[in-house]
Amino acid sequence: MIIPAFSKTYDAVTVLDFPGMELKRGKICAVIGANGSGKSTFAKILGGILPPDRKFDCLDAGAIGYMPQKNYAFRMSTKKNILLNGKDERCADELMDALQIRHLENKRGDRLSGGETARMALARLMMKRYELVILDEPTAAMDMEATLLAERLILRYVRQSGCALVLVTHSLQQARRIADEVMYFHKGKLLEFGATEQLLSNPSLPETRQFLEFYGV
Amino acid sequence: MKASLIQAIQLILSADAQLLNILSVTAQMSLKSSVIALLLGLPIGIWLGACKFPGRNVLLIANRTLMGMPPVICGLLFYMLFSGVGPFRHMKLLFTVDIMVMAQIVLITPIVVSSMESYVSAVAPAVRETARGLGLSGGKTFRLLCNECMYQIISAYLLAFSRAIAEVGAVSMVGGAIAWKTNVMTTAIMQYTNQGNFTLGVALGIILLTVSLLVNIVISLLQRRLSQ
Repeated sequence: MIIPAFSKTYDAVTVLDFPGMELKRGKICAVIGANGSGKSTFAKILGGILPPDRKFDCLDAGAIGYMPQKNYAFRMSTKKNILLNGKDERCADELMDALQIRHLENKRGDRLSGGETARMALARLMMKRYELVILDEPTAAMDMEATLLAERLILRYVRQSGCALVLVTHSLQQARRIADEVMYFHKGKLLEFGATEQLLSNPSLPETRQFLEFYGV
Repeated sequence: MKASLIQAIQLILSADAQLLNILSVTAQMSLKSSVIALLLGLPIGIWLGACKFPGRNVLLIANRTLMGMPPVICGLLFYMLFSGVGPFRHMKLLFTVDIMVMAQIVLITPIVVSSMESYVSAVAPAVRETARGLGLSGGKTFRLLCNECMYQIISAYLLAFSRAIAEVGAVSMVGGAIAWKTNVMTTAIMQYTNQGNFTLGVALGIILLTVSLLVNIVISLLQRRLSQ
């Protein structure tokens, strides 16, 4: 899947300059980088939330699934929130079981905790098969147990749907656990891209090495 | 004062014909104007809250200005337009309930617009981002947004109704407070107090305060529901 080059400029300052690349179907590509490096801007443009400086054609809007950093739960039951993205009740039940939120199915969405909302939002997104899925820090609000459940579900979803999945994360451990490839963003630029183990163990650029050392890798 | 209060309560309980007429005209005017203001203000408020476009700020400032417009200015404007020398004199609407409703619509629509705009502008970005992220259609996104605003819509309506029922300046100018025709609670209170008939004034005051109390109880219950 070819992602064309794009950029984003605010008040004559370019905050993101992406050179374009190919994403592999059935693979997970993690996006790492410090705060303000352009990871979320990249995810939002790819997800069709934010317009780039120049419009590009990648996939139909319906073929891209995007889960934002801050998830919104509608004023309806958790199950109804999940069923907003599909009518298959059995699938919704399975997803709730996989994320251990079945006991919350009748609880109003806007009364869920941060971690519960994130789990509900992940289940909601996975009700549909997309060609490209972008998850912007999906487990940031989750505890370790929920994070591992979510990661297992993400891996299963990618395997079953054959989609390309972009995972924006602050956790290098998470990238190591589930990502096949890693993109390192630095000051709005894609600095390095490669296979997870290769990039995390043996980065080629000093900036990447410095970042990884700072995070204790 | 105690005697006036007792007489006022007796008047309410006796279902006095004049009192019932005033209540009927008031209900007619307040309900019509608040419903029409809601129907007009709701889409405008949602549009202003959910969309960003050039000139939006100008419209917001214009709406705030209309919110602050003194009712007597609104009354004066309608009086000039529909009086014997105005451009719409042939419609013969002056001193009718219809023109009172029209003046009220101008006064309370901006309240509905503002109430909806401030709520929708806070909720819409998250709703839109979530819906777009899931690939939902524009129609479904709009329905979800309206569903999220349900309590706010009811709250905006009650706010508009309570303003309509309590308004006096514009309605007295364009309605003329004609007994058995255009006299509403607020204008009648003024009229009967000036005539020294405190009993009817107090009775109307009690009803007006009771209605206002009930509306406010409903609004606070809705607000509590919203915050939970």
